[in-house]
Amino acid sequence: MSVGGAGAVYDRGYRPYDGPRGLRGAATYALYKASIRRALGIRRSWRQKFAPFLLLGIVTVPAIVNVGIGYVTRDRVVDAVEIITYREYVGVSSALLLFVALVAPDVMCPDRRQRVLPLMFARPLTGIDYVVSKVGAIASILFAFSFLPQVVLFVGNMLVSDSAAHYFSGHMDVLWKVPVSVGLLAIYYAVIGVAIASLTDRRIVAGAAVIGLFLITSISSSIIVGDIVNGQGSIGGLINVLGLPLFLRDLVFLGHVNPDSPLAGVDHGGPFAIATYVAILLLGAGVLLRRYRWVER
Amino acid sequence: MLAGSLLRIDGLTKRYPGVIALDDLSVDLPRGLVGLVGANGAGKTTMFRLLLGISKPTEGRIEVCGIDVAVDPIGVRSRLGYMPEHDCLPLDQTAADVVSTFGELSGLPARAARQRASDILDLVGLDEARFRPIGGFSTGMRQRAKLAQALVGDPELVLLDEPTAGLDPLGREEMLALVGRLGTFGISVIMATHLLDDVQQVCEHVVMIDAGRLVVSGGTDSLLERTGIVTVDVGVRGAELVAGLAKVGLSATTDDGLVEVTVEGNHQMDALRDVIAELGLPLYRLSTRLTSLDEVFLRLAGSEP
Repeated sequence: MSVGGAGAVYDRGYRPYDGPRGLRGAATYALYKASIRRALGIRRSWRQKFAPFLLLGIVTVPAIVNVGIGYVTRDRVVDAVEIITYREYVGVSSALLLFVALVAPDVMCPDRRQRVLPLMFARPLTGIDYVVSKVGAIASILFAFSFLPQVVLFVGNMLVSDSAAHYFSGHMDVLWKVPVSVGLLAIYYAVIGVAIASLTDRRIVAGAAVIGLFLITSISSSIIVGDIVNGQGSIGGLINVLGLPLFLRDLVFLGHVNPDSPLAGVDHGGPFAIATYVAILLLGAGVLLRRYRWVER
Repeated sequence: MLAGSLLRIDGLTKRYPGVIALDDLSVDLPRGLVGLVGANGAGKTTMFRLLLGISKPTEGRIEVCGIDVAVDPIGVRSRLGYMPEHDCLPLDQTAADVVSTFGELSGLPARAARQRASDILDLVGLDEARFRPIGGFSTGMRQRAKLAQALVGDPELVLLDEPTAGLDPLGREEMLALVGRLGTFGISVIMATHLLDDVQQVCEHVVMIDAGRLVVSGGTDSLLERTGIVTVDVGVRGAELVAGLAKVGLSATTDDGLVEVTVEGNHQMDALRDVIAELGLPLYRLSTRLTSLDEVFLRLAGSEP
């Protein structure tokens, strides 16, 4: 320390750290938190915060409208007005595809482009830990953004109903069906988005590839399936990567394939949907693990 | 110098298709400041990747801080800090965010990581700039930020890959001063560089490799051997001294105003002293000249088969 005149310059030197220290679990959780912060624009400029929270607002609008109409019509002698069901609301969450196309590349590509990966893998962190952190972060946000509007819908409907207790007891099944459905959707979109983003270090390319994959497969599927006549769809409905998790949603909510869906009337349509879902998840996980198999064999 | 063994390498070989990056390298290094010297492509960065366990050796065994890298690479990495040669920091984040995040990635709790990030950024001279995005940093500031992220986890050993690359002379001196201070904090350093002056300035031990093979490993002082040349400063009367020395059979030359005398044994040293005294020359300086690490490297690497 040197002291002179009006001021002093303190050399605080170096203080060793002797507190608790974690290993892989702590490093994975740290990367998970950092990825969530980045995805939501936390500690970044307002421009980075704008898109995620705008999308959250958009997917919450139907719940607010539904509850608002229920409130306005609460004293009228008419059947309860329900413009959107919990099952249908899971479909609204597929709009979060835009979020995936925007955020997954932002969370993945800079690490490769700015060559941060060598620094990360110089920590107690493996390729698997890295993939789990990134997919987990995107899936968590997707789950939250899909689940929160459903909570708004449920609580709002309960409060504007004649009897909150009666409404609650009458909709107990929703309490597990919604989280399971949006969980399936969140993991699926997160794995696909992150896997595609891992293939390039350019965000714009990754974002376009995510949207392109979903658009091309959904259009292709529509052409193959065509109009559903007499409740007869086609196995080609499974090509639709965007809509695939909605088949699983129907299985969760209805216990069978929805008669109005492109898989209607297809033998073993439900098991086929589950198998395709699992196969795509495994493919995405395989791509990711191969891309981040950092330690050479 | 710190006590104990830092690194034990036994028969280390790393082959890539068509290239042998490291060839049967064995070395035992003490704790402290170690320079890893070699030309570009000598295998320095490959060795760092092997020490970190992010690349596996073709043959051989590595023990870092008493831990076998092949057995427990995670345990090794939790004790190491790494500063790569290339740019590697997220440009759109502040130095404080980046360093504290890497502190957490090193296993520190979030609060401790933030506190240490603040301390370390202060230590490397980035206290004022810690809330600025790294994208706006100069090359010197980026090097300091890279050093900060390597230190934030309180490592036992820091691997520095060309820490002075791209720095101006002042920035280089400051970086070397920082590296030199790490030893006093109980942190061992392995500094890979092709700049032998940097190693000579701060390192206590030197490992020289060339084309993947060990050239020499030893204490810096022991490698800087005496050359048998004595440098004498007698002001403007150098020519007079050279002539006097020739009379007693000593060969001498003048170089930039200094007289360099080849001396073998004490009797010739005595003769030199006597000539200066007899001629009544003013003696401003008399010193033995040491080799530089450049000379050692060129001599030893050149003698390799």
